[in-house]
Amino acid sequence: MELTRRQLLALAGVATASAALAGCGGTLRPADIEAAGFGEDASGTLNLWCRSDTVNGTQAVVDAFHQAQDRIRVRLTPIQNGQYVTKLATAIRGGRVPDVVDIDDIYSTLFAYRGAFTDLTPLIDDLGIGAALSPGHLALSTKDGRRYGLPFIGDFSVLFCNTELFDRAGLSVEEQTRDFAGLLDAARAIGGLGDDVYGWSYPGNSSGALGFTVQPHVWATGRDLIAGDVGNQRGDVAGNDALRSTLDFARTLWSENLVPPGSFADDASRWSADYAAGRLGMFPASFGVVVPNSSQELLDRTQVVLLPGPDGGHAFFDGGDNLCMLNGARNPSAAWEFMKFAVDVQQQSRMPEGFYSPVRSDVVTPEFAESYPFVVPPLEALDSGYAPTTLAYNLIYNQQDGPWLRMFRQAVFDGEVDAAMQEAQTTYDRILRQAQA
Amino acid sequence: MSTLTHPRRTGLALITPAVALVVVFVFVPLVVAVYISLTNFPLIGPYRFIGFDNYASVLTDPTFWDSLGYTLLYTAIVTLPILLLGYGLAVLVRSNRRGATLLRTIFFVPFVIGLTTLSFLMLLEAQPNSGMVNVVLRFLGITDGSTAWLVDGPLATGLLCVMVVWAASGLTMVLLMSGMQGIPREVYESAEMDGASWWQREMQITVPMLRRTIAMTVILSVIGSFLAFTQFYILTQGGPGSETTTIVMAIYRRAFVQLQLGAATAMSLVLVVITGLVTAAQFWLLRERS
Repeated sequence: MELTRRQLLALAGVATASAALAGCGGTLRPADIEAAGFGEDASGTLNLWCRSDTVNGTQAVVDAFHQAQDRIRVRLTPIQNGQYVTKLATAIRGGRVPDVVDIDDIYSTLFAYRGAFTDLTPLIDDLGIGAALSPGHLALSTKDGRRYGLPFIGDFSVLFCNTELFDRAGLSVEEQTRDFAGLLDAARAIGGLGDDVYGWSYPGNSSGALGFTVQPHVWATGRDLIAGDVGNQRGDVAGNDALRSTLDFARTLWSENLVPPGSFADDASRWSADYAAGRLGMFPASFGVVVPNSSQELLDRTQVVLLPGPDGGHAFFDGGDNLCMLNGARNPSAAWEFMKFAVDVQQQSRMPEGFYSPVRSDVVTPEFAESYPFVVPPLEALDSGYAPTTLAYNLIYNQQDGPWLRMFRQAVFDGEVDAAMQEAQTTYDRILRQAQA
Repeated sequence: MSTLTHPRRTGLALITPAVALVVVFVFVPLVVAVYISLTNFPLIGPYRFIGFDNYASVLTDPTFWDSLGYTLLYTAIVTLPILLLGYGLAVLVRSNRRGATLLRTIFFVPFVIGLTTLSFLMLLEAQPNSGMVNVVLRFLGITDGSTAWLVDGPLATGLLCVMVVWAASGLTMVLLMSGMQGIPREVYESAEMDGASWWQREMQITVPMLRRTIAMTVILSVIGSFLAFTQFYILTQGGPGSETTTIVMAIYRRAFVQLQLGAATAMSLVLVVITGLVTAAQFWLLRERS
C-alpha cells in the first residue's frame, strides 16, 4: 500500500495530537479527607519525598514511625535540592505523584497556588496546635485562608555571637545587638582585637544565603521587598528606607574592613569556617550551619540573638520544610497518619539532634532549653518569623543571576546603593509580572 | 527490454524506517513544540491556547536579548582561537613522526575529559588564594593571587573562553589533521620543487584544499558555542547578575525555574531559527567558489 501525501500528513497530525495529549495529562483529584476513619489505622506503603538537605531529619522521623507501628511502611526518596521543584512538577504533570512531600516552605506556595496539594485545613484545625505552630511556615502554604501544608522542619536565621570576643572588647551582647549602630560599634571594637579577627561576615556571592540572613534586617521594620498579594505583587525596592539602611550597613562593614576579605567571593561553601575558627564576633546563620561545624568549646561561649532592624525590632527568616499531601496521592490516609506523627511534640523535640529546629513553640521546656539553647530564641518569638509569600522567590533570591544578589553586590562592593536599588526595582517588577502571568 | 532499477515499492520500503524515525523523533516533537509555544503551558497546572503571546513576550524581554547578545559575544571570542589553535596543533601532529601519536593523545585529552569535568576542576582552581590559577599568576608576579575570577563578568568570561578553547581545539585538530593527511603528498613535492616556502605551501595548498573541512569545523564550533550551557551553569550560574547568562541558560531558567514551558519553548524555537540562519550564512560564506 502506498500512502498519499495527504494520508501521510493526516497520520503525522494524529501522532502529534496523541503526543500532545499524552504530555499534558489531567488534573489530579484531592483525597476525601473527611471520610470516616481518615488518618487512622491506615496500612500499606507510603511514598514520601524529601529534600536531600533534610534527609537525616526526615529519616529519623521515618525510623521512629516504623518503630511506633507496623501497618504502614514509608518509602523515603531524597531529591536533590536544585532539582526538587522540577522533579515534583514533572511527577504531577505525569500523574504519578508521591503521597507526601517534605518541601522547602518557600516552594510550597508555588504548588499550593497551582492546585497541586490537598486542602488540609480541617485536619490541621483538629490537631489543636495551631497557636504553637510556626506561623511563617503556615502562611507559605496558605491560599485564600485554606491550609495546604503542615510545618515540619525549622531552619531559622539568627545571629551567633562569640561572647569571648565580646568580653575582650568590653561589650555586652544584649546591648550591642539591638540596632545597626550597636552592631557597627561592636564590629569595630571586635575587629580591633587583632589582625585576623573580624566583627561580622556574609557570603557575598551566595544569593540564597544572603536572602536568608540579610532580609530579616528589613523585615524587622515590618516592611518587605515585595508588596501586594500573590497575583498582584510588585517590587518594593526603590525608596525602601529599611532596605537602604540595610545595604548601607553591609556596605560600611565592607568598606571599613569589618568582614573578612573572603566575603567578597564566598559562595557559602566555606560559610561557617571563620566563625568555627573563633575569628568572628557576630555571624548571621542558622543552627544547622554553625553547630555541626563548631567545637564544643566555641559553642560554650556562643550566644544566639535575633537579627535586629536598623533602629530596633527583630526578625528571622522562617525557613524550613512543610509536609504537603499531593492531590492524586494513592495512600492519603496513611499520609495523614504519618504527618500527625511527624509534628508530635516527641518527634519535634528531637529535631535538634539532626541539627534542625522544631516548628512548634510548645517544645520549649527548661530541659529542652538547657540542651538546645541556640534554637530557643526564635521559638520564643515565633511571630517574628517571616518569609515572603510569592511565586517568584526562587527567581529573585535563589538564583545567582537574580536581582537580589546583583543589587547586594553592586551596593555593597561597588558602593552604588541608589543605582542598585533602582535597577533591582525594575527587575523585581519584571520577574513578578512574568511569574504571575 | 529489462531494467536494472528496482520497483518503486522496494525503494519506499527501504527508506520507510529512516523516514519513520525522522517523523517520530524530529517532526512530531517539533510540531508539538510549536503547539506548546502557542500555549501558556506551565510545568504545573492547566494550560490554554494564547496564540503568539509567548513570542511577543520573548521578543520584548530584555533577558532574552541580553543573553543572546552575550552568546554572540562568547561565540565571536572563541571561534577563531579554536580554529587557529586546532590548525596549529594539526600541523604539529599531522606527520607520522616519532612521538606524533603521543602528542595527538595529549592534545585530544581535554576534549575527551569533557566540559563538565573540566568545569568542576576549574571551579576549584579559580578560587581566590587557594586555586592553582591564582597560585601560578602570583608565582609569575602577575597578580597578588586573590583574584575572584568567577564573580566578575569580564574575568569569568575570559577564564571560560580560555578553558573552552583549550578543550575544544582538540576536536578541531583531529578533524583538520584527517583532512591534511588526505592531501596528496605529490602536490607538496611539486610546490617544493617550484621553490614554494612552508608558509606558501600552507596558504596555497593546505588551506584551499581543506576549505570544506575548515567550514565544517567552524560550523560545528559556532553551533556548539551557540548552545553553550554546561560550563556556564557549573562555573558562574549565569552570574554575577546576568552577565554570563547564555541563551540556552536563559531558556533553561524560563522552563525549569520559572516553570513556564510555553514561553521557554517559544524561546527555543526562536533560537532554532537564529541558529539556522547563522549556519546558512556560514554555508554561504564558506561555500566552494569556482
